Amino acid sequence: MEQFITSWLGSTPAFAIPLALASMGLVLCERAGVLNMGAEGYMALGAMTAAVLTLTLGNPAIGIIAAVIAGAALALIFGFAVVIMRCEQILAGLATMAVGLGVAGVVGRPYVHKSFEGLQPLDIPLLDQIPLLGRLLFNQDILVYLTVLIGFGLWFLLERTRAGLKIRAVGEDPASADVAGVQVQLQQLMAITASGALCGLAGAYLSVASSSVWVDNMIAGRGWIALALVVFARWDPLKALAGAFLFGAIEALLPRLQAIGVPAPIYLMNMLPYLFTIAVLLVAAWSGSKKGVEPAALGKPYVRQDRH
Amino acid sequence: MSSFRLTLERRQQVSTLRSTTTYILGLLLGLGFGLAVLLAAGAPAATLLDDLVIQVFFSSMGLAQTLTLAVPLILVGLAATSAMRLRFWNVGIEGQLWLGAIGATLVALSDFGSESLRLPTMLLASAIAGAAWIAVPLILKLRAGVNELVATLLLSNVAYLLLQHLLFGAWKDPVNSFPVSPRFDDSEQLASLGFGNLHSGIYVALGITLLMAILVQKSRTGFYVDVIGRNRTTALATGIPVTATITLMILLSGALAGLAGGLIVTGVEHRLTQTIGINTTFSGIVIAFIARFNPLAVLPTAIVLAGIYNAGGTLKVFYGIPDSIVVLIQGIVLLTLLMVQFFRSYRVSLIRQSAPQSSQPST
Repeated sequence: MEQFITSWLGSTPAFAIPLALASMGLVLCERAGVLNMGAEGYMALGAMTAAVLTLTLGNPAIGIIAAVIAGAALALIFGFAVVIMRCEQILAGLATMAVGLGVAGVVGRPYVHKSFEGLQPLDIPLLDQIPLLGRLLFNQDILVYLTVLIGFGLWFLLERTRAGLKIRAVGEDPASADVAGVQVQLQQLMAITASGALCGLAGAYLSVASSSVWVDNMIAGRGWIALALVVFARWDPLKALAGAFLFGAIEALLPRLQAIGVPAPIYLMNMLPYLFTIAVLLVAAWSGSKKGVEPAALGKPYVRQDRH
Repeated sequence: MSSFRLTLERRQQVSTLRSTTTYILGLLLGLGFGLAVLLAAGAPAATLLDDLVIQVFFSSMGLAQTLTLAVPLILVGLAATSAMRLRFWNVGIEGQLWLGAIGATLVALSDFGSESLRLPTMLLASAIAGAAWIAVPLILKLRAGVNELVATLLLSNVAYLLLQHLLFGAWKDPVNSFPVSPRFDDSEQLASLGFGNLHSGIYVALGITLLMAILVQKSRTGFYVDVIGRNRTTALATGIPVTATITLMILLSGALAGLAGGLIVTGVEHRLTQTIGINTTFSGIVIAFIARFNPLAVLPTAIVLAGIYNAGGTLKVFYGIPDSIVVLIQGIVLLTLLMVQFFRSYRVSLIRQSAPQSSQPST
């Protein structure tokens, strides 16, 4: 039993990290008032870029950095569409998602199913032998620790700094922020680009750290789960991080239960994270706390004439 | 001293000429980019016209396959239209489609009702299942104000897990190694029209398009939908039955998506599989948007998109270009159309600003 829990917890980050990175990126973007439906596409592009470069150059670090740049670049196209050209955010997000998925599929085609030496877990002797939590805490790759760091960094940025205040102001009331001298468009573009970079990193984690291969449909809806996770986490980066670990733990548990012969209906149990999220939505709506948390200007294009 | 400044304002009124020109330019530009991407991906320019147009629309087998692919696309395009006219974001069309396919399969596997009425019962069940699946986010939205965007999306994932639960469990065909349901009986399959794989579902799709056009453009409900879509508060104030109209149109959206699933399993697959309906949410929204939410325009748009999907199959077999190119082209066309709309909705002007010490009193 102890063995089971140790290895279950140890494998949780593999499921949690992509969700955590993507949803934290989306939290940042939504706090700046931009509803970003493109995550699935940025993640696919990031996963493909990282895998292809690692395959051809043999260096996962270069692959991961390139994935971050690729995700940010695609997000910048979305940013141009919604911030400068004032396109409908949901439609433009879906379109960028399709572009990301499409480019990843077409460019990555010759590299499908070719496995490579990916990112290895850090080798921390002795500590990883600690029962229960040893493997979770001390036998992970560097991106896992980086993700936790990013979570706290993002929380600090949003809640404790001037820069974060500007971002939040833009998401709550762009007209007032504009009057106060905040460059609304610049803030939104930066938040969008950063969210693309984090989603690209999430994709890179999937291909280079957790599976060491690129396959079609690698993201398999994780971008959408990340989007739901933002609502689940009530637009808080740390809650998004925690929520990702909760969802990841459920995802990691089910195949293990099946493997040891527990007759669990895994597909039905996999529904739990989605049903949880719907329950959270419902509770939030009923308790009336929604207005206080959801960025007030989320999804609305801003034009200076809207100042009041 | 004077300086210049760029300003941006919303156009209060948009002329038909401007709106038509920007639309056509956007579409042409988007298709142009799409073609460029196809060429860049390795499609040979010499045979592009043949592969993309002649083979899929003007050859007998090609046209049959295009129309077969068009059947579910027409229905999901109408499903998206029905919801988007009310600014209701149904991004769970795939989920409703899967529920529809499950509903039809349930009727078939349980041999429900008399054999002569089996097929209509299956299609009815698919529509009801699709409507039931969207009823959940609809009720959550109307009763508790829950955002339908996230709710429809989540339920789509739940629907896919339900599909897998059935196909890997109770409904798995014992004589097949793949996760598919047993094959339907002959009485549970739509009639083949003897034209490739084309089945009588195309008549259903055409009939429903016509009914939707009447509903949206000629009926009182269609008028209500227009008013609510423009401004919900005004609609409420003028005594229009807002909740009833929204309920009707959104259930209709789910039913149409469910029916698309029903037509796929009864017309093409003849069993439930886990590969049906992939990407239909996005395609439905793209079709509805390009058709400008007009049911009659959904028909040609869906057929053209089906042609592109069909050509995508050819490109894959002959030139090794993956299917994802079709998703990419849809994304590019939609993004271009959206961006070009900027020139429809906004006016950019260069304003000469006088120096601060001007006598103009500030207001």
